[in-house]
Amino acid sequence: MLVYDPATNPLNNNEWAFPLTECIHIASMALSIGTIALIDLRLLAPAALAQKPSQLLKDTELLTLAGLFLVITSGIVIWTTDPDMYFHNDAFLFKMGLLVAAILYNYTVHRWAAKRDPQGVGGKVVAMVSLLLWIGLPFAGIFTAFT
Amino acid sequence: MSIAELFHSVQETSAAVALRESALVYPIILSTHLTSIAIFGGMILMTNLRILGLVMRATPVSQLYLALRPWKRVGFVIMVTCGVLLAGCEADKYYPNSIFWTKMTLLAAVFVHAMIFRSSVYANPRAMDVRVPQIAKIAAVTSMLLWLGILSAGRWIAYWDPPIARIAPVSQLR
Repeated sequence: MLVYDPATNPLNNNEWAFPLTECIHIASMALSIGTIALIDLRLLAPAALAQKPSQLLKDTELLTLAGLFLVITSGIVIWTTDPDMYFHNDAFLFKMGLLVAAILYNYTVHRWAAKRDPQGVGGKVVAMVSLLLWIGLPFAGIFTAFT
Repeated sequence: MSIAELFHSVQETSAAVALRESALVYPIILSTHLTSIAIFGGMILMTNLRILGLVMRATPVSQLYLALRPWKRVGFVIMVTCGVLLAGCEADKYYPNSIFWTKMTLLAAVFVHAMIFRSSVYANPRAMDVRVPQIAKIAAVTSMLLWLGILSAGRWIAYWDPPIARIAPVSQLR
């Protein structure tokens, strides 16, 4: 049987690898959460940007996807440095649930709403929920370290 | 008053003590600092990518630049406020940290960057709508590098160890 020993992980044996992965994790939040938040800003404050939400969605969807890929990949790499610790960490488990919810929400409700360029309160509610889900992730990330 | 003494007196203020000892407020401020990177850093990124012609090519540069500028300013104030609180409550630990001073230098460089490119790029964003000049692209690339450096230095502050030489010799401890 193969047993994974985190002590063999390159990230635990190199002074630079772990913080560098963390920097990639943080920078790709600007790419993923940042682009989603731009659509939310437009839904919440129509005067803030001239582009319609549907146009912003088209403009940013590839960047969002690239950002999500980077943020999740770097997150998995960070997780491998101490998998058992993370599985016993309530803030981390909450974060994983939140991540699944945020991704599902983004590619169903949020996407559907943005494509329809909503004018009324509906669009604002969709944006508020989106912001709360995505902002919850860096918060849960920090609380993982403080738990 | 030396800078070290100033840092120490900041750390000793009642607000700094309360923040340092709070199990909840400190991580909330740190999370807000991080969330600002995600949201307002995203705006900096989008503006610079647009100047480089890599995203939103149908949108005039000036339109995106002028629309996001007030939000980026709000974000900057939130980010700096949180940063001052985080560093202030542990000022004695930050003072000898060379990565912290690297980050402060990079932040100062952001202001120098704004001054350098003000007249040629930022004062007249509509000039970029017809054709983006080379100097604006240089400004965009350096802006992204500076912010990436600030972000990375921010994370690296936690990994700095005091050099052995700076630890007081045993004779001084007695």
